[in-house]
Amino acid sequence: MKVFLNLIILLSIIFPPVVSGQEEILIGLIPEENIFRQMDRHRPLASYLSRKLGVNVRLTILSRYGDIVDSFVSRRMDGAFFGVFTSVLAMERLGVEPVVRPVNLDGSSTSQAYIFVRKGSGINGIRDMKGRRIAFVDRATATGYLYLIALLRENGISNLDSFFREYYFTGSHDASVHAVMDNRADIGIAKGRVFRKLSEKDPLIKNELVILFRSPEFPDTTLCLKKDMPESLKKRIRDTLLNMDRDRDGVEVLKALGAIRFMPATRDDFKAFFDVAKKAGIDIRNYRYR
Amino acid sequence: MKKRLILSLGLLFLLFSIGSLLSIVYSYKITQDLKTVINLHRVEIIRQNLVINLQTVQSNLYTTGTVFGKELDVIVDNVAALDNSIRSCSGCHHSKEMTARLKDISSTIEQYEDAISYLITTTANQERIERLKMVAVGIGDILLHKTQEMSFIANKRLNEKTLKAIDAINKSRVILFITLIIAFFIALLIAFALTHQITRPVSRLVKAARAIAAGEIGYQTDYRDSTEFGELAESFNTMSLSLKEKQERMLHYVKQLTGLYNMTLSFYRLKDMDEVFGRLCMEIAELLDANQVELFLNDRKKGDFISHQAAYGLKVREPLSIPDNKVKSLFNLFRGEPIVSNDPDEIEGLSPILRGGEKNILVSWLSRKERLLGFIKVADKDEDFSEEDARLLTILSGHIAVAMENSELYKSLERQMIELREAQEQLIQAAKLAAIGELAANVAHEINNPLTSIIGFVELMKEYDDIELIKNRLEIIEHESIRARDIVRELLNFARKRPLQLSDVDINSILREVSLLTGTQAKSARVQIIEEYGEIPKMIGDPNQLKQVFVNLINNAIHAMPEGGRLEIKTSRIDEEISIIFKDTGTGIPADILPRIFEPFFTTKREKGTGLGLSISYRIIEDHGGRIDVESEEGKGTTFIIRLPVINPAFKEKFDRIKRG
Repeated sequence: MKVFLNLIILLSIIFPPVVSGQEEILIGLIPEENIFRQMDRHRPLASYLSRKLGVNVRLTILSRYGDIVDSFVSRRMDGAFFGVFTSVLAMERLGVEPVVRPVNLDGSSTSQAYIFVRKGSGINGIRDMKGRRIAFVDRATATGYLYLIALLRENGISNLDSFFREYYFTGSHDASVHAVMDNRADIGIAKGRVFRKLSEKDPLIKNELVILFRSPEFPDTTLCLKKDMPESLKKRIRDTLLNMDRDRDGVEVLKALGAIRFMPATRDDFKAFFDVAKKAGIDIRNYRYR
Repeated sequence: MKKRLILSLGLLFLLFSIGSLLSIVYSYKITQDLKTVINLHRVEIIRQNLVINLQTVQSNLYTTGTVFGKELDVIVDNVAALDNSIRSCSGCHHSKEMTARLKDISSTIEQYEDAISYLITTTANQERIERLKMVAVGIGDILLHKTQEMSFIANKRLNEKTLKAIDAINKSRVILFITLIIAFFIALLIAFALTHQITRPVSRLVKAARAIAAGEIGYQTDYRDSTEFGELAESFNTMSLSLKEKQERMLHYVKQLTGLYNMTLSFYRLKDMDEVFGRLCMEIAELLDANQVELFLNDRKKGDFISHQAAYGLKVREPLSIPDNKVKSLFNLFRGEPIVSNDPDEIEGLSPILRGGEKNILVSWLSRKERLLGFIKVADKDEDFSEEDARLLTILSGHIAVAMENSELYKSLERQMIELREAQEQLIQAAKLAAIGELAANVAHEINNPLTSIIGFVELMKEYDDIELIKNRLEIIEHESIRARDIVRELLNFARKRPLQLSDVDINSILREVSLLTGTQAKSARVQIIEEYGEIPKMIGDPNQLKQVFVNLINNAIHAMPEGGRLEIKTSRIDEEISIIFKDTGTGIPADILPRIFEPFFTTKREKGTGLGLSISYRIIEDHGGRIDVESEEGKGTTFIIRLPVINPAFKEKFDRIKRG
C-alpha cells in the first residue's frame, strides 16, 4: 500500500495533474499600458503557470477597460488581471473573487491616480481646466477617470461636455501621458505607477509635465478568478502565484512582470475605492461605463 | 638506413601535415565565407518576414473597425511576430551602419506599436481616431520604406559577400590543388629516393646471393656504404669467403678420402701387393702434396729393412738397406706413432732413413699384430707436414699393413688350396679306381662272353671252306669284338683321370651307357633294372663325372639287394630341373646313419667300400648346381633322387668360353 502511494506521488511529480475537465485557462488583461508591452510583460507568467499547473494558460488582451466585464462572460474567461474599478465591477456583477495582486518593484501594492498638465499651461487647479482638452484613460478606471470625476464633483462640476473643450479616452494610462506630452490634450489622468515608469524611461516627461493632484492609494491590478472555478484549482493557482518568489524561474517571471512577488487580495482592499466612487456619485451596480 | 627511413617518413608526414593544415585552414575559410553568405541569406529571409509581418499589421490597421478587422489578439500576435523579426535581425548584424539602421527601425517599430496601441485603446471622436490611424499607418509606411532600404543594402552586401566567398572558394581550390600536386610530387620524389636507396643495395645483395646459389662460392659484392646495408654486404663477403674456404677444405678432404678409398680398395682386390706399390707411392705423393715417397719393407731372411724398388720422386734410386735394430729403435722411440718433422736433421736417430737433403719428412709404420712389416717415408712437401697428413698416412699405413698381411695369407691359402685340390683329385681317382675294381669282374665276364664266342667261331672256321660261311662267321666275330672293345673302351674312359670336361650332356644316354656297364653285375646279383626315361632336355655338364655318380649309385643299390630285387631308374623334367630317381627294394638304410651317408670315409661296407663314393657323388652333383636327396625305409628299400638344373649359370658361362675358344 505504501509502495502504491509512493508511486502515485512520484507519478504526480513527474506528470503534474491536469485540472479535471479544464483544457485551458483563459486569463484576460486590461490595456493598462501599451497593449503589446502589456502582453509582453504577462507572457512569461502564462508560460510559468502552464508549466506549474499542467494546463495551458492563455492570455487575451482587451481594447477597453470596461469591455473586460462583458468579455469575461462572452469569451468565457477563467480569470483576469483587473484594475481597481473593473475588479469592483466584476465582483459586483459577476461575483468574481479577488485572489492575488502583485507587489511592485518599489514594494508598494497600491497605486494612485495622477492628474497632470504641461508646465506653463496655465492650469493650476480645477477651475483652470475649463475649456481645455482632457485625455482620460477609460470610464472604467479609478486612476484614469473616476478620481477626476470625484474631484470635479467636489468642485461642483458634473457636465463634462460643457466644462471641457474636448475630452476623450486613450484606453491606456501611458497613452494619456503621451497625449499630454504630444499636446493632443492639455490635461491628463493616469495611474501613478505607469506615470513614474514612463518618467524613468523618458526624462522629458518629468521635466515637461507637472502633477496637480494625487489620489488616495487604491489596490493595484488584482487577479480575480471566476466564481464557479473549482476551489482546488483556485487554491493551486493562488498557492503557485504566492510562492513564485521562492522559485528561481518564478523570480525571473516576476522580474519581467515588474513585481517582486504576489500577495493575497481580499474584498476589503477596495475600501478606498468605494469612498471615491461615492464622491464621484457612482452606483457601481448600475454604472454605465461605455 | 634507419635514420634515413625515419627522416624520409618524417618528411612525408610533415608534408602531409602541412597539406592537411592548409586544407583545414582553407576549408575553415571557405566555411566561414559560406557561413557569412548563408547568414546573409538568413537575414534576407528574416527581413522578408519582417516585411510580411509589417504588411500584415498594416492591413490589420486598415481593416480596423471594418468587417475585415481582425481580433485584437491576432493583431497583438502579428505585432509580436514583427517585434521578434526585428529582434532576431538585431542579434546577427554587427556592422555600425547596419546596427544604427536596425536601432532606428527598432525605435520606429516601438513608435509604431505605441501608435497602434493608442489607436486600438483610444475612445474618442471619429476625427481623432482617424488621425491616430493615419499616424500609425504613416509610421508603418516609414517602417516599410526603411525596411526596403535596408533590404537594398543587405542585398548589395549579400552580393559582395557572395562574390567574395566564391572568389575565396576558387582561390582556395586552386591553392589546395597546387598544394596537392606539389605534395604528391614531393612525396613521389621522396618515395622514389627511398625506394632506390633500399632496392639498390638489396638488388646487389640478391645478385651476390644468386651468384653463390649458382655455385660461385666466394663471390664478393663490391657494394659499400655506411648504412646497415653496407654492414650486411661486408658480412656477406666474409660469409662468402668463409664458405669458400670451407668448401675448399671439404673438397680437399673429399679428395683425400677418395684417394684413400681408391687406394685401399685396390689393396683388397689384389693378391700381390708388389703390383700396386709403384702406383701407391705416386698416389701418396699426390694425396699429401709431397715430392718424394719411399717404401721400406722388412726382409724376413736378412732381417733388414730394404727400400722397395717402387718409389716416387727419388733422385737416387739405389736401394737403401737399414739395419733392423735401427728401424726398431726409431719405432720404439716414437712408440709406433708417426714421425712428423719439418726439420729432419734435428731428430737424432733419423739419419739412417734419410737420403740427404729432405726438406721435411713424414714416416708412418706398417705394423701388424706387433710385427713391424716396414714403413712409408714421405718427404719434401712444399708446405709443412701437418698432423692431418700424419693421420691420413697412418690410416693408409694401417690399410697397407692389413693388405700386405692379407696378401701373404692369400698366397698361403692359395698354396693350401692347390694342395687340397690335388688331394681331392687323388681321392676321387681312388674312389673311381675302387668302383672300377668292382666293375672289373663284371667287365671281365662281359668280355669273356664275346671272346668265348670269337674263339668258338674261330675254331669252327678253321674247318670251313665255304667262303660265304666264313664271311658270315667273321661278321659275328667282328660284332663280338667290337662289343668287347666298346666295353673296354668304356671302362678305360671311366678309369682315365682327367680334368673337368664340359659338354652338352644327354642324361638318358649316360644312364644307358652306365646300365650297359653294370648290366652283367645286376644280372648276376639277380637284380632287375627297370629303366623309364622321360623326355628331358640336354644340359651342360661333365659326362664322365656324372657317369661316376650313376655307377656309384647303381653299385650301391645292387649291394643293398643281396637277395636280388628290383632297381627302378627314372628320369623326368620338373620345371627347370631334371629329376633322376634310383629306387631299389633293398635292405634300406637305418634312420640313425641316414644323415651321415654323404660324409667322406663313412661306409657300411667295410670290406668293399672306401667310404668316398657317396661323398664324391654329392660333391659332383653340387658342382653341377644340383642336389642329392635320400629317402629310405629299413627293410623296404632306398630312393636316391638327383635334381640337376637344366641351366647351370656357372657351367654355361664356362662352356660358352670354351666354345669361343
